[in-house]
Amino acid sequence: MSSQHFPVYSLLLLLAAAVIIPLLNKKSFSKVKLFLITVLVAVWGFTLKTLLFVYQSGAYSYNFGNWNEIIGVQFIVDEFSALMTLFVMSLAILILIYSFKDMEHEINKDQFTGYYTLVFILLFSMIGITYTNDLFNMYVFMEILSITSCSIISIKKKKENYMAAFRYLILNTIGSLSILMGIAMIYMVTGHLNMTQVYQTIAEVWQLYPTNILTAVGFILTGLGIKAAMFPLHIWLPDAHSTAPSPSSALLSSLVVKVYIFSVYKILFKVLGQSIVVALGVPTFITYFAAVGMIMGSVFAIGQKDIKRMLAYSSVAQIGYIFLGLGLVTIDGLSASMFHIISHGLMKSALFLSAGAIIYYKDKRNINDLDGIGYEMPITMFVFTVAAFGMIGIPGINGFMSKIYLSFAVLDANKPIYLILILASSFLNAVYYLPIIISAFLKESKDRKNIMEIDKLPKSMLIPMVILALGSIIMGFYPQLIMNVVEKAVPTFLF
Amino acid sequence: MVEFIRSIVEHINYVASVALFIIGLYTVLTHSNLLKKVIGINIMETSIFLFFVSIGYVHDGSAPIINLGGDRVIYVNPLPSALILTGIVVAVSITAYSLSLIIKLYEAYGTIDLNEIMEIRGGRTNE
Repeated sequence: MSSQHFPVYSLLLLLAAAVIIPLLNKKSFSKVKLFLITVLVAVWGFTLKTLLFVYQSGAYSYNFGNWNEIIGVQFIVDEFSALMTLFVMSLAILILIYSFKDMEHEINKDQFTGYYTLVFILLFSMIGITYTNDLFNMYVFMEILSITSCSIISIKKKKENYMAAFRYLILNTIGSLSILMGIAMIYMVTGHLNMTQVYQTIAEVWQLYPTNILTAVGFILTGLGIKAAMFPLHIWLPDAHSTAPSPSSALLSSLVVKVYIFSVYKILFKVLGQSIVVALGVPTFITYFAAVGMIMGSVFAIGQKDIKRMLAYSSVAQIGYIFLGLGLVTIDGLSASMFHIISHGLMKSALFLSAGAIIYYKDKRNINDLDGIGYEMPITMFVFTVAAFGMIGIPGINGFMSKIYLSFAVLDANKPIYLILILASSFLNAVYYLPIIISAFLKESKDRKNIMEIDKLPKSMLIPMVILALGSIIMGFYPQLIMNVVEKAVPTFLF
Repeated sequence: MVEFIRSIVEHINYVASVALFIIGLYTVLTHSNLLKKVIGINIMETSIFLFFVSIGYVHDGSAPIINLGGDRVIYVNPLPSALILTGIVVAVSITAYSLSLIIKLYEAYGTIDLNEIMEIRGGRTNE
């Protein structure tokens, strides 16, 4: 087995598993679980091996069916895509192990196989978007991703879920169509769909057709902005992320949104190139929207009563940080942005999973009902506290490190106004996360004595949450572990 | 003026596709009927398909089959048409999924009008 086929094997394995899952015997769910875990671990192994292979022998591009890149579809396997697929798969394994128990609470038993089929196709398309080097291929993967991500919301048979999924689907489709329009305009002037080819051609043609390329970038960024929940286009996100089953919310918030940001990286720096993007003035506008999002997302989150809805609004603010780092177009900014993608993925999935555990065990969603819950579910609330401290930016947790990196990047780029906004946003984060922690540990519960006891949750739900929290802490104390890898991934975009 | 009209006539495909795109977007954003939203999405999709296929059109070109066009050697670019076949499949699946959601919404609320659904939910969005 030659290592350079591993990205394709991981895709094929996920797709084949998605086909096989509905055929398995529905009554013995333990066998289905074993099968799912085996496939996920195998795919994880493939992605890890790909990352190691890329470090040993450098980045390479994979042509499907050996067609050359002008005609065929090409995958690019470099430090960035290998790292990010590993990140996607690692988080997905933890979330799916958690979901085995939690989904019993959320959906009917006969829907399980359908749910995991959808999740596997979701993972398939996420990995595809990360690897692909072809614009139209990216669009197709995005459409698969948008259908599956809507359907893991609507699988829970409730009115709110149907409405949230419908709204998400309509906005997602408008986004995809804008992206397709932009791709058509780029194809119109360059005659290529392969990103590397477009990059080579566009340097020659963009002086001739500046309006056309500006319109194309506008369409593509609007589309990706809708999908990645950039601030004024985030309206679908709170409903979708809060009504979905908790594992789905964790997947959507920590992975799906991030995958669209990978596409933004690719479009801006691999298709258009740094010089054209800066000349068009696109990054400046991205930083404006990001800055507004950082503040407004937190402001909206303060007013929420529902814990998952609050977490969803918090995502809007955190995505602002990621776009801010991206909009600086410096090496420091981009690495801070990638670091925050990883750290936000860990923290937000820990938050959503612990919120899901509270809903699973106590069936309480309202923030005001959480008094004294820290005594009943100490481990869950420990995980929640660690992740929430990370979001606020308490030193020792990865959120602090990403804020430090982002602040230094902002200062290096000579834009100190954004530093004030980062600090203000951290303060606002504290305003809505701290009351939950305080009421969970310090207030007395109304209906029971506050006697300390260990969570009565199933182990398969506790362990992934604890791993996520420990991961956040380790990443906070030793950020260089991740940062060294991220710094190798940045030069694939900026050089 | 004549120049302007001529350029519009020459690029009538592009003009039409932009017009359709705007009509579709307007329908999606302004109509409260969910079915009409889906129709608006379909109009937008059609406009982009028209745009994409028009890019590949070469004036006086023949179908890109070797030796079928006689001695003509100019061929129409087949790639956009091939891509749009994929695009149509995607569009159909989106339509099918959104229609099935509309059926579920109708079962749940008894109406497919967004304003009425919002009234039934009665501001209880925080759930």
